[in-house]
Parts: sequence; structure tokens; C-alpha cells
Amino acid sequence: MKYCDKCKITIDTFNSYCPLCQQVLEGEPSPDLIEKYPEYVSANRKIYPITKKIIMFVTIVSMIILLIINLASYNGNLWSLIPIGSIFFFWILISVGIFSRQNIAFRFVFLTFLLIGLLILIDEASLQIGWSYNYLMPILLSVCNLAISGIILIKRIDYRDYILYLLTIAILSLVPIILVFTGIITIVWPAITAFALAIFILLFIIFFFPKSIKDEIKKRFHA
Amino acid sequence: MNKQSRHETWFRMDNSGKIFPEVSSHRETNVFRVAISLTEKIDNVLLQQTVDTILARYPMFKVKLKKGLFWSYFDYNSKPFHVEELKHYVCGEISPKKNNGYLFRVMYRNTDIIIEMFHSLADGAGVIKFLKALTYEYLVLVGKDIKPDNLVPTKNQRPSMEEYEDANTKFYDKKNKKHVPEKRAYRIKGSPLSEDLTGIISGTMSTSRMIRLARENKMTITEYFAALMMYTIYITQIQYRGQIKSNQAPVKIFVPVNLRKHFPSNTLRNFSNFVKVGMVMTEDDISFEDLKIFVKEQFEKGMTKSELIRKMSENVKFEKNIFLRFTPYFLKKYALKIGYNMLGMKLNTMSLTNIGKVDFPESMQPFVFDVTAAVYAGKFNTVNCSIMSYQDRLKISFTRSIVETTIEREFFRHFTDLGIDVEIESNYVEEY
Repeated sequence: MKYCDKCKITIDTFNSYCPLCQQVLEGEPSPDLIEKYPEYVSANRKIYPITKKIIMFVTIVSMIILLIINLASYNGNLWSLIPIGSIFFFWILISVGIFSRQNIAFRFVFLTFLLIGLLILIDEASLQIGWSYNYLMPILLSVCNLAISGIILIKRIDYRDYILYLLTIAILSLVPIILVFTGIITIVWPAITAFALAIFILLFIIFFFPKSIKDEIKKRFHA
Repeated sequence: MNKQSRHETWFRMDNSGKIFPEVSSHRETNVFRVAISLTEKIDNVLLQQTVDTILARYPMFKVKLKKGLFWSYFDYNSKPFHVEELKHYVCGEISPKKNNGYLFRVMYRNTDIIIEMFHSLADGAGVIKFLKALTYEYLVLVGKDIKPDNLVPTKNQRPSMEEYEDANTKFYDKKNKKHVPEKRAYRIKGSPLSEDLTGIISGTMSTSRMIRLARENKMTITEYFAALMMYTIYITQIQYRGQIKSNQAPVKIFVPVNLRKHFPSNTLRNFSNFVKVGMVMTEDDISFEDLKIFVKEQFEKGMTKSELIRKMSENVKFEKNIFLRFTPYFLKKYALKIGYNMLGMKLNTMSLTNIGKVDFPESMQPFVFDVTAAVYAGKFNTVNCSIMSYQDRLKISFTRSIVETTIEREFFRHFTDLGIDVEIESNYVEEY
């Protein structure tokens, strides 16, 4: 036990001064003393490695250069959006797809929509013949559907979290069908196929996991 | 855990718990700590086993935070829980993304078991029950011959629904929910410690001596400490400086009240309210005697049943508001955040939590040595205080986010001047 004759308190510590008045303590610590609180060890700080900085710098500079060249030689075609969009997608793919700690289904849905957006952008910036929404959108949505149901079935993850996403995407697979009726999509069979697949998945969920959907909705929507 | 409960365990958040996830951050962690010192060194493998069994008994704690459309809620957490070795941080942030989604920590060091809990999940009284159960099961696992004596819930008991109820809404009174506007409180000044550090200084005194001291003044221990705290803040921070604008705000001590003692409920979740003593202290000659009378009066006023119900209903009112209820969560979040930053946090100078006496069955007493409680200290509430006692050891812990220790010093010197022995513990945060 040590003693502070100014504050008249006792304290058992290896430190030499009183925590209250910073004066020097008298006496010796107990022989079997272990400090009550551990020493401070600095937590790992956020450090951006130099390589990451270089890559970031190069991409931003190249994006700006692309845009400037495009605008300087502008002939009614914004071709620079294609590489710029792709670079963006690449970064998001890395940060969301690989490093994010979000759940997998969310990342899938997010990236799928981003990819569809990018493809539509490329389509519009190039030939404008509609291959992106006619073929690729329904296919990508179906792939995403299958991927998520695959993960749920194979990995046996807590499917309660995933079902909402699955439902979302099944419903969003209706988007091509709606686009067919509004006449934007001209080639019908991929859209129909994607829709059929979405219906199939929906039915599968309703037949095989009916309870959990009810629970999930109750949970998510309680007011 | 059996299959059935795996699908069904989810809990609505209780009324007071709803606010915390939105307003918590790295600095305002809303985390509090209870610790127990046993007489022997803690075996971390056995402790891990104990926590696993306890979590099966208390599904309420085996949860993670999830967002719904209108409110967030606690969902069953299927990931494993890990006990950790104690780090330097006191009441550090419990991020829902780390720690496998769990909203509490169990740590060990030497002979201590430390629980840190996010305030959404439970309040002091709830955690004490959890701590008691944990200690009991741990000691059983170590091989001690002890009996629960109805003081400690054991793992073989079935969890009852009563433990999860939101008692606030149960005692809600529509007619008694008037909102009383409050002024912003005085903020204790000091030079901030570097970002993620919190200082803790605890003083242990004799419980019986403290009770005698409070009785001599015809007060309860909490009242006595509240009065002394105001006096300490006054002499260290405000006296003779009343002309300064920031010193003209009232000094307000926030004292949580365990409502289980006033209303019949056995819930483990948040069921506490508060009494606040507030006073503008610009005069130069306020004495401790004046403050004692003042604090006693304010406590009597604040502790009446109707006043407690009013404060409870004031909070529940917001939750019941039909407009707010059906606002999507992502909008509601901002409303709560703005409201709390403007009002909630800045209405108190300091919180003084008296968790009270912890009882253990007689057969367990030889193995338990000491208890400690601590509350986080943030940017606005730079010094907080919590009290907890076991047998003849009453421990007052100050947590602070500032370097200065003048309040602690004057507070403890008051007792040493009265001839009472004080044993100090500190994490010597100013070293780093």
C-alpha cells in the first residue's frame, strides 16, 4: 500500500504519484500486486498504404484526362463515360464486393444493379441498340437470384436475413416484364425467362419457408 | 439452443433503449460497466463456458441490433460470443459491427470479471442480475460448493416473459405526460484526454460508516453524494467566477432511479428514470449545508409517484405518437439524433448512478471480494460518477474524459478530512 499524505488516501500501485493531486506517494506497493487496470496499448490506426494512395491518384488523374480529351474533341459522343464508369465500377466492386463487411446478399444486389446501370450507360454511349436491357438485364437479374439462393442453400447461413433480399430481387425481376409492356424492351424471351425464374423462386420460398417470411415481415414492419 | 427459439426470438426495443443506438458514437458510447473481483484468479476457459450457458438462459442478451422499417429491434444472434482480456479502455464503444454483433462485452483480468453493456439492452439493475448469475455459474464451474438461496437466478430456471417486458409502456399514463422544458446545463470544463481514452478513479470506503454519515445528516447516501457533488463542482469550477457567462447555466446532477423499487416489475431491460437536482450557482457564498437542504427537497419532489410516471409517460408519448410511429426508420433516426443532440445530452452536468448494494448468498460471499461500477464519460458529460457497494466496501468510481482530477480530489478529500479511510484505484490515464 502506498499513501498520499496530502490527500490522506491509500492506493496500491506501481506508479509513483497520487492520481488525485499528482504528488509523490509514500510507501511500497504490496508484494503480490497486479495493477487493477492494464496499460494502454495503442489500437491499430487507420493507415492508408502508399500503394493505395498512388493507385487512387492515378485513377483520378486518368479520369480527369479522359474527360478533358473527350470534351476538347467533342463530336456529340460522350465516349469517355465508358472508361470512367468502368473505373468507378472497378473501385466499388473492390470496396463493396471484397472489403465491405455488409452481408453477401446485399452486396450481390447492389453490385448487380450497379453493373446493369453501367451496361446501360455503355449501351447508350455507344451504338444505342438496346442490348443491355434486352438481354443483359434479365440475365444478370436471374444470375443474381440464383447466386443468392445458391448461397443460402449451400452455406446454410441464417436465411432469415437473406429472404428479404431474395424477395426484393424476385419482385425486381418483374422490372423487365413491366418494361416489355411499356414497349421499351423489344426482344421478349429473355425478359419472360427471367420473370419465370423469379416466380419459381418466389413460389419456392412461399412453399418451403412460409413461417420465416411471416416472422420476418412481422419483425421488420412492427411499429 | 433449440430450433424453435432460433426462429422466434426477437425483441422489440424498450422505450428508453430506442434512443441509444442513434445517438451513440465513438465518443458518446452509452456504455456502462459493472465488475466483480473474486478471490481467485479467473480461468478464461471456464469463464467462456459460463457465458455460453448463461446466454442460453438469458436469450435477451444473445441478440444483435437490426433495423426494421419503422423501428430497430434485437434479433437472435447465431454467432458465438467470445470473452476477452481486459483492455485499457473504460466503457469504450460497442459497435454493432464488431464483437460478432453482440451489444455487451465480458472481460477478465487477474481476479476480476468485467461486463460492459450497451445501454439499449439493459440498465444497471438488469446487468447486476446478469452479473450475479454469471458469477454464480462460474463459481459452480470452478467447483465451489455454493447455493443460490433465491438470490441468484440459475441456469436451470426457465426464462420468463416478465424479464423482457417493456415496463415503461405498462405504467404509461395518458393524462400525466406534460412536457417540462429544461435549460441547458453547466458543462464541467477541462482539457480533453486524447480521443479514445477514459480515466477512471475509484475510491473505496466503509459502507457502514457512509450510512452513518448520511443518517447523521438525515439523508440517504445518494442524496448526500449528490449534494457533495454539487458542492465540489461549485468550489472547483464556479465559485467567485459567477460573472462568466458559461458559469451561469444551472449545475444539474442526473440521478437515475431504479423504478423496480417503485413499481412492480421484474424486467431486465431498461426500467429506470431519473431525479435531477439543478441549481444556478453564481453566488459566492453557497455552503454545503444549504445544498444538503436543497438536494433533499428536490429529491422528495422528484421521487413522487406521479412525477416518476410523468417522466416515464413523457418518453413513451413520443413512441406512441402515431405520426412518428409510422415514419420510416431512416428518417426517424435523424429526428431522434437531432432532438437528442439539441436537448437530451446537454441537459445534465453529470450523472451520478447509485447501483446500490449487491447481495450474494451466504455460501458465495467468501469468494467475492469487491464490485465496481462505471459509466462512460463523453464530450458534454465530461465527468460521471457511479456507486456500487458490497458488504462493507462502498466504491465510488469517477470516469472522466478530461485530464483534470480536481473534482475527484476535492470529493475524496471531503471524506478524508472527516477521518474516513479512502482507498483509491486509478487507471493512470494521464500517463499516456
